[in-house]
Amino acid sequence: MSVQVITVRREVQAEARASAAEFRQRCTERGTLVVNVLSSPGAGKTSLLAATARFWSAKENAPRMAVLVGDLATDRDAQRLVSWTPVVQMTTGGACHLELPLVERAMEALGDFDGEFLFIENVGNLVCPASHDLGEHLRVLLLSTTEGDDKPAKYPKAFRTSQALVVSKLDLLPYVPFSVEAAAADAHEIQPDLAVLPVSSLNGQGIGEWCRYLETRRTTLLGQGNAE
Amino acid sequence: MHEASLIKTLLEQVDRLAKEHAAVAVEEVRVRIGPLSGVEPMLISAAFERLAPAGAKLVIEEVALTARCRDCAESFELQRFRFRCPVCQSAAVDVVEGDGFVLESVTMRHAEPTGVAS
Repeated sequence: MSVQVITVRREVQAEARASAAEFRQRCTERGTLVVNVLSSPGAGKTSLLAATARFWSAKENAPRMAVLVGDLATDRDAQRLVSWTPVVQMTTGGACHLELPLVERAMEALGDFDGEFLFIENVGNLVCPASHDLGEHLRVLLLSTTEGDDKPAKYPKAFRTSQALVVSKLDLLPYVPFSVEAAAADAHEIQPDLAVLPVSSLNGQGIGEWCRYLETRRTTLLGQGNAE
Repeated sequence: MHEASLIKTLLEQVDRLAKEHAAVAVEEVRVRIGPLSGVEPMLISAAFERLAPAGAKLVIEEVALTARCRDCAESFELQRFRFRCPVCQSAAVDVVEGDGFVLESVTMRHAEPTGVAS
């Protein structure tokens, strides 16, 4: 018997990341910006996406969007979105996060979608989804005012790997001990480049700024606007 | 808890390597885990024990989170996930190590060549 040590020194997820980069490139070529939305359960991901769809549906020449929504067991989120936007439900069967093959399969159900924005609503969880590249151009983290402004330091990976922080449920601010400034300052210690966008999906406050942020990012990241 | 799915990915890679090298058994799998890897060493060990072939041992090397300042080039260990240079206070810092889950090496056993035919 002989023993051999093979040095590998490679990220375990290297192959998954390469596949995600290919998916991202295909979406770039179609002019679709992919947005991965992360948050804890109940922070308002579905409400934000419904408010986004409502805002754009009221505009002329508005960007087209679609949503792939991840859920452990039900299609309740998809039911809430279906009257506003094309939506495909991905049921993870209990898994705590989404992985690219599930997203690619759901994408097939959208047919030849070549709209401007594809949102992936991840499973409500701030831990596991942070480690999985779904081929997104933009990772957005949603933090609601009811969760407390001390969360960024508790979930460093999710905050470090995101580009935008949406503070949701702004309408509840008078009733909860939450400071948008404190949350933003804590988040900026982890990711100084994080854009901070406070919104209320319920009364529409900040939704216009959020949508304009998305349109600007799309122009920058894909190198093309909506004015074609 | 996504450690089980990561261990499955890891074991696929180990299995492929073992086949490529015509190994008869895998003795040790060495991985590196950093504080910003998004994986928990205890959960990784538990998932490995449950899913790995019998006899294979997992060795986890825990590494610190280190970064380098883009402004003053200082290299330092990050404390409490505060991404700030301790020398010039710049927030423009890049992680050098500690944000990954890395397969370092695989130790495998081969059958000895049968030798000279008599």
